[in-house]
Amino acid sequence: MSWSSRLAALLPGRVERDTGGTEPDPRFTFANERTFLAWSRTALALVVAGLGIVQLLPPFPGVPAGRHLLGVPLIALGAVLAVAAYTEWVRNQRALRRGEPMPLSVMPWILAATITGIAIIAAVVLLLSALR
Amino acid sequence: MTAPDPDEAGDDPEYRDSGLARERTSLSWTRTAIAFAALGGTVLKVNLATGLIILVIAPVIWQLGRVSRGALPGADGGPPAMSEVSATRLFIITVSIVGVALLCLVIAILGRSAPGALR
Repeated sequence: MSWSSRLAALLPGRVERDTGGTEPDPRFTFANERTFLAWSRTALALVVAGLGIVQLLPPFPGVPAGRHLLGVPLIALGAVLAVAAYTEWVRNQRALRRGEPMPLSVMPWILAATITGIAIIAAVVLLLSALR
Repeated sequence: MTAPDPDEAGDDPEYRDSGLARERTSLSWTRTAIAFAALGGTVLKVNLATGLIILVIAPVIWQLGRVSRGALPGADGGPPAMSEVSATRLFIITVSIVGVALLCLVIAILGRSAPGALR
């Protein structure tokens, strides 16, 4: 399956027309929706954290780009997480309808890896700032 | 994973009635709308127009959760069937967050910073 057809399969019109399988238990559908909303709030929190770092923190002495190094990836990660959350919701809903095993989520891995990376950058920026 | 049979529901209130799940989902929509409002309030401090745009999104998000609150009637006049819960609502939230993130990215890169603005 090509990337364009994979993307097209995520559009709401396609998802709503997908009537394969049977209607799942409403509790599972609600749980899937709540998981999506929880990831969406996480994405929003990352965006606000990134914006706060860039706009509201005082500059790091000796590291003029320090705030941008920390804040911009957080905002970008927020956008990525929002899209990934929707993709996961579609995949999970399809699996629920068809009674298939739930697909493995890559989102915790993405979040953990990015936060680890940003923590390392933050440590380096703070060290450089303290040494100057 | 089909709907539970009421005769086999037992004592578990969650199993007998999906209303609790609906309520939790409704609360989750409310929290998401509040998160949008909080972000809008923060952005308002650094960019008035963008902050107002994000603040306007918050009640829209809250309204999108109306299906989870059971306000929409189903085809037979009863509560909506889960098949009527459209992917469009969740797609709109995704597009909103991506749009807000892009706006914030522009503000972060091009905007003037205001250290201590929240003091």
